[in-house]
Order: sequence, then C-alpha cells, then structure tokens
Amino acid sequence: MTTVDEPLLASDEPSFGVLRRMFSLERPGTIVAALVVLAFVVVAVLAPTIAPYDPLKQSYLKINTYPSADHWLGTDQFGRDVLSRLLFGARNSLIFGLLAPGIAAIVGTVLGVCAGYFGGVVDRIVSRIIDLLLSFPELLLAIMISAALDGGFWNVLLVLSIAFVPGFARVARATTLAVRQEPYIEASISVGLRTRTVILRHVVPNMASPVVVLATLWVASAIRLEASLSFLGLGTRPPAPSWGNIIRDALGNVFGSPWPIIGAGLAITIVVLSINVLGDALRDALDPDMP
Amino acid sequence: MSGAALHATSGAPLLQVEGLTVAFGRGDAAVTAIEDVSFAVGTGEAVGLVGESGSGKSVTSLSILRLLAPSATIRGGRILFAGRDLVTVPRSEMPDLRGRDVAMIFQEPMSSLNPLMTVGDQIGEAIALHEQVSPQAREARVLELLGGVGIPDAAQRRRAYPHQFSGGMRQRVMIAMALACRPRLLIADEPTTALDVTIQAQVLELMRDIRERTGTAILLISHDLGVIAEMCETVVVMYSGRVVETGRVADVFRDALHPYTRGLLASIPRLDGESRRLHQIPGNVPAPGARPRGCAFAPRCPVKVARCEAERPALTPLAPGRGAACFVAGSEAA
Amino acid sequence: MSPSAPFLLRAEGIGKVFGGSRGLPFVAASARVRAVDGVSFAMQPGETLAVVGESGCGKSTLARLLLRLIEPSEGRVHFDGQDLEALSQEALRQFRRHAQMVFQDPFGSLSPRRTVFQTLAEPLQTFGLAQPGKALREQVADLMRQVGLPASVMDRYPRQFSGGQRQRIGIARAIATGPRLIVADEPVSALDVSIQAQIVNLLQDLQERNGFSCLFIAHDLAVVRHIADRVMVMYLGRVVEIGPRRAVYEAPHHPYTQALLSAVPRPDPGAARRRIVLGGDVPSPSRIPPGCAFHTRCPLARDICRQERPALREMPGGQQAACHFAGPNPIPV
Repeated sequence: MTTVDEPLLASDEPSFGVLRRMFSLERPGTIVAALVVLAFVVVAVLAPTIAPYDPLKQSYLKINTYPSADHWLGTDQFGRDVLSRLLFGARNSLIFGLLAPGIAAIVGTVLGVCAGYFGGVVDRIVSRIIDLLLSFPELLLAIMISAALDGGFWNVLLVLSIAFVPGFARVARATTLAVRQEPYIEASISVGLRTRTVILRHVVPNMASPVVVLATLWVASAIRLEASLSFLGLGTRPPAPSWGNIIRDALGNVFGSPWPIIGAGLAITIVVLSINVLGDALRDALDPDMP
Repeated sequence: MSGAALHATSGAPLLQVEGLTVAFGRGDAAVTAIEDVSFAVGTGEAVGLVGESGSGKSVTSLSILRLLAPSATIRGGRILFAGRDLVTVPRSEMPDLRGRDVAMIFQEPMSSLNPLMTVGDQIGEAIALHEQVSPQAREARVLELLGGVGIPDAAQRRRAYPHQFSGGMRQRVMIAMALACRPRLLIADEPTTALDVTIQAQVLELMRDIRERTGTAILLISHDLGVIAEMCETVVVMYSGRVVETGRVADVFRDALHPYTRGLLASIPRLDGESRRLHQIPGNVPAPGARPRGCAFAPRCPVKVARCEAERPALTPLAPGRGAACFVAGSEAA
Repeated sequence: MSPSAPFLLRAEGIGKVFGGSRGLPFVAASARVRAVDGVSFAMQPGETLAVVGESGCGKSTLARLLLRLIEPSEGRVHFDGQDLEALSQEALRQFRRHAQMVFQDPFGSLSPRRTVFQTLAEPLQTFGLAQPGKALREQVADLMRQVGLPASVMDRYPRQFSGGQRQRIGIARAIATGPRLIVADEPVSALDVSIQAQIVNLLQDLQERNGFSCLFIAHDLAVVRHIADRVMVMYLGRVVEIGPRRAVYEAPHHPYTQALLSAVPRPDPGAARRRIVLGGDVPSPSRIPPGCAFHTRCPLARDICRQERPALREMPGGQQAACHFAGPNPIPV
C-alpha cells in the first residue's frame, strides 16, 4: 500500500465567502443599499402596526391637505393618510417583487435545465418558446394580457411571472449547457447516480448563481413594473394602496399637494436603486471574473 | 559564483543569466517565483531548462524577453545577452530586440498567431519589423522560410489562415516566424507539449535541422527529460524556483548529483530495460508561497541532513562544467 | 450477474459515428465523424489492457462506449456475459456499480461544491452500500487511507488539493463500490512526472489487492509499458495491433506501432538509434482514407493498402496486427 503523507496545499479560505465579499469595505454603497432594502422589508411586514391610520379610511374633512404633525405626508383627494397608504403599498410591492421573479425563476430554471441537460427535441421546443416570448416587450405583454384579463393584482402577477420566464430559461439553459460539459457531470453519471440526482445535486448547484443574480435584478424590475401598471390602472385595484396608484390618484392635484407623488416616487426610486446595487454586488461576489 | 563558470563552453556565452530573482505581487503579499537563478547559453549551444510545474522554468524564460505579467518584478540579478544587460535595457528598446536577436516560440501556437491574418503576411510582417527589404525580396524570404520549416506547397499555403493548419503545422509556422530575422537565440517554451508523439518527432527533427543549418543557439524549456536528452548538450534542472543542478546532459543523465534530479530520472517510465515498478518521489512540490526555509526539496529528500532544513544550499561547482545545490552532494564530491 | 463468465468484458465490432445529420429547418447539417470503427476485443478478469494512440484515434470514445456513457452506432458490448444493450435503465445503473471510471482531468472531474466526504459517500449511498450514521464516515476514511490520503481532510473541498491528491480522490471514488472493471482515461497525463509515478504505483497496488480489471487509456507508451499486461494500439478509430505487452514492445508487427515507439524521446543522451519520423499529419476522422487508414503516412504503403482494408491477423509473435505487410519491425531502419 502506498502511504504518502503529503502536505496539503495551504489554502484554508472559507468555502462560501459570498456575503463577506459582497460587503467588503471597498463598496460602502452596498451596505447602504442593504440597509435600505432591510428597512423596506421591515416596513412592509410591520405596516399594520406602524401605520398611523387605516389606509382605506376616507375623511371628507381632510381632503388634499399639506403635510402636518397628524399626517406627515398629508392626505389625498379622499382624505386618506398618504403615509399609511405608502407603508401599506410597500407590502404590495414586496409581495409582488418576490413572487413574480420567484415563480419565474423556478419555472424558467426547470425549463432551462431540462433543455440544457437533455438537449435534442426538448431543447428545440423550449428554445422556440423562449424565442417567441422574448420577442414581446414585457411591459407591452403585461398591458395586453392584463387588459384582456381585466387587470388586478394577481392577474398582473401571473402575467409578469410568465413574461419573466424566458429570461430565466435562457440563462439557465446556457449555464446548464456549460456545466453539462464539465467532467464532474460525466463522472457522476459513470459513478451510477440516477439522472434526477445528477441534475439536482451536481448540475443545479453549479448553474444557480447567474439565475440568483438575475432574480435579484428582476425583483427591482418587478417592483417598477407593478408600479407602472398600477399607475396605468391595470395593476392593484383601488382602493387598495400601491405605489403606482398613489401617484395616479395624486396626479389630479399635482399643484395642490405634490407630496403623495414625491413620497411614492422617492420610495420607488430608492428601493429599486438599492436592490439593483445589491444585485450588482451579488453578481460580482459570485463571479469575480465577470466584467 | 557565476553561471558561466559552471559551463565548459568555449568563449564568452551568448546569454548569461546571473542571480535572477523574480517576485509576483507587491509588499507583504509578494511571492518569490524564482530566486538566484544562474545559467549560461553559449553561441550555437542548445541548453535545456527542465522542471515540473511550479519550478519557475517558464518565469525564467519569460524574464529574458521581459514578457512577464505586469504584476511581476525582477528583484535582482542580470541577464547578459551579447554583453548587454537586458534587465536594464529601457522598456521601449525591448521590441527591437525581440525577434531580431532573441526569438521565442510557445506551447500553443494558435494563441500566438493572429487568426485574421494569413500566415505568409504574418511572417512578412515579422521581417518588415526588423529589416528594410523590398516587398519582392520579403516575399521570397517568406516562401523560403515556409519551405525551410517543411511546409509543402509554400506558395499556396502562405495564403492560408492559422485555423486552416494542424497543430504541428502551426508550430512550424511559429518556428518560421521566429527564424524570420535570423535570431542568435531561440527560446522554445514547451514547443512540443501540445503535440502528438509522431508530430513531436517531426518538430524536434526540424529544430535539430535548423540548428545545424543556421547555428542558432536554443534555450529549450521542457518538463520532458527525453526531449532534453535528444535535443540539448547542457541541462539546467530547476525545482521550486531555484536551479538545483546543471551540467552536460551526458553527465547529468548518467550520474546525477542532486537527489531531486536522481529521483526525477528514476521516476521516468521507460521503453527499455526492466519494466519494473516506477520509482516515486513522495510528497508534492511546495506552492511558491509556502516554500520551506531551508532547501525546498528537503521535505521530499531521502538523504537530507539537519542542515538542509535550516539553510538553503547555493549552486556550487562540483566538477568541471557541473554544479549542484545540495549540501549532501557537495560533501560527497569533496 | 453470473460469476463464471470466461471474459469479464467483450466488445464485438463496436463503432460510433458522430454527427452526420442532413439538416432540418433551423438545424444545421453536420459532418459525419467515424470516431470508433469495428473494434473487437475481450478482457480477462484481473487483467490490465492498455489502449494507446494519438489524439483523434478514438480511445476516449471507446472508453465511453464500453461503459455505455454514450450509445454505440454498431456492435455489442458484453459485461460478465450480459449484453449491455439489453439492460433496462435500472439494470444499467447497477452495471455501473461493477464498472467505474477514472478521469484525465483531476481538476474538472470533482464537483467543486462538494466536500471529499460527500464525493466519496455518493457512490456508496446510491447503491445502498453505505452504513448508517457515523459508520459512513469510517467507510469514507477507509477509502481515503486506501489511496494514501489522511482521513482528517475529508471535509475539505477539491480546490484545496493538488492535482495528484485530487487524482487520488478520483481513484477512491472509483473503487468505492468494489468494481470489477476500472476504465482509466489518461489518468496521469495531466500530472508531473514525479506525481505520475505515485498514481501509476497506486493503481497497481489497488489492483493487486482488489483484483479488478483495468482498461488503461494513454498516449504515453512508456507509462503503458509499466502497467499493462496487454496493449491495444489504435489509429483513426481502428485497432491496428493488439497483443501481449512484451510482444508489442519488443517486436511491433504494425508499421504504425513501430513508428510510435520510435518517436518517443528517450532520456538516454548519446544512445545511437535510428528514428522513424512519419511524414504528414493524422487525417481528420471525418475524412478517413480508403483502404488502410494509415496508408497516407506509411513508408510501406503500396497499391493494395489504398484499396483494401487489412483485417487483424494472428502473428507468430503472439499479437494480432492489421497490416498487409505485417511482420516483426516491418519498417527497415
């Protein structure tokens, strides 16, 4: 028997230092963005507790008032508290921002991995569907379908999830194709693993990082698109609050009280920007070689 | 002690490397890649630089033409080429030297050739860079060079692009390009490692033939002791960034002084003699950042003494034209 | 599987053609590449058969055909008397327990996100050979000791190991299920000379102890000479010579084998020998010459070689060679 006490290589780096790399000191912006996103999540979760008023409660005595000690962002044309509507609107955005990309990522990954791993006919069918869906701009698609389905939060959610699927499927397929060529995949087949195990244990963990990054960036897009559709009257149905319809409702009185528009507009901008900054940091941390 | 003192070549050497030290990175994170490397190549001589991965043989060859990555710095030593120290030559003058006096060929010729230019134009460009000749004369040289490296139907093939050639043919094109300006030294960094054995035999024969015809000196970098034995007169053995042994090929291969060279020669699978169990050197080559304090080979050495782990042995002349960096070999020879 | 089959592995006229589709709407046509062409041989239990040849000779494709990692275009493979083609999906998986593979690339063949323990436990688990709980760690530790690695490093990731150490892990994975055949695809060609010797010796020791057969694929004839009982030389997908090691190395009967042996650089400076240098390049497998595939480079080629494909014939030396002019050292030096 060969006994060789070889000294091991001296690399003892932690296996998954992704978080550490994301928040390294060279990028203070990442920390700020993370705090903003954290605050957004906390606000959305705690909205019923921290909101000073019922977001739906109308008061004809206080229509279109300016910010005051009672109503920090003033009231809208139905006398509803804008701050409370904004806080509840964050819930809407959070649910939408997590669900739409989440559903799309799962469906897209399943399609993409199957296409990339099995190839052949499966790949041809999936690829043609991807091409077809990708040829529609997602906002137009969402408008078309939600107009046909008569809008509403859940319909828009469904539509955008479908609209996001091809993006995920395409990335998942491309990375799966690359991972499929790795010798360790052939090795795990030759060891005798079942196809299901090979895919779940060896393919998916090694193709997941671009999909995760894409999902992060789509969270921001989903929040933006939900706001846009609600603004157009196709998303969240009034009187339920959404950042988009807060702006829509305040549009008639833009010269009277601009505060609802400023508040909701800033909320959208800051949250979307922060999520994008986090997504970029995550991408760089997961793949330091990408430009 | 200079590298030249160890060689039996007549006259002043064409290339003399003395105490060359190269490090990667800066400050505390700097890692020494090669340390105190000395050897010489005489006019028309073929010298083999042999070592395993991580031995520093490629870093050594790249420093000669100052082709090292920007993160590398030459920390010390001299590289004398025809009496001139290449370490101190201004960066702007290096391109002039490359190709004209010293030419280099690499392991993977595809990455060294421009995929969008015909091979004939690339060789012509190499000539035009260093010499003022008429287009007609240049074209004649291109065809002569292509014919000289054994490319059949040169007039036709000069118009082909690199991807239309096989690996062996591309290496021939690289050699033709390297020879375009009749360099005095050809540095070949693992020129046949990517090639199949029958194609390797063709390229090695071509290099031997060119040396005979033109008298170009060759510095051949290889991990393959068989290639070195067939091509070179002198061999420089490197281990973990240092020269551990140097001498005439015939002497070193017959009776190596350094225990690493001995182990390496014994571990080569052979086509002749007893098909016995292979000799193995235990352990691994230390990573450049984790070299031991004393002799880098000490942890794997079968004959080490206490001194080997405390002190680094210097390359010492032990016989005419031979040297080894080993305390044990040194005391045996004395 | 029945234990008393005379051969462990038998290939009958096995072949593989890649590509060759005519093209469909939106699908490009591709050239036909005949990677392996009518290869037949048999392996005894416990024997080491080396397959040698240059790049493009089909040796790696042959390995994958034998293990049914790819489907053959023609021919049959019998393992322990069973036709692999007849096996169901699950029976094929059970076959893998008895026939494992070691790969060329020690860096790529281990899953980067799995520890050594996870990698080595996997084959045991998938075939129900794993003992429950802590005992599994002891099983893995034993595998690591068998390949000369300390068990203390089993929770590390592959990138923390050197090339030689990773190849040991790859070998440990292959022997985990106690296979009767190991196909080693260029297991040492990515390693340094001194490490190469360690791995070759390790494979030999394990084979002596565990008694598996080994199909050893290599381009390095010198390494093969130290490990093989029999040698099979391939050129452009075909077997040109096969026979006992001593016969093939001492008196090659095919001109290609002779030239291949002659081309290997030897570490004997000054040794007088005449080298046979073959001209030209290996033709592309998509355009295999008619007749004998080697005739474009063969110094002995005549008209018959261009027209008629030579079959493998028994030679007095004990080997078989596929050459119209086969004989001991056929190329005069």
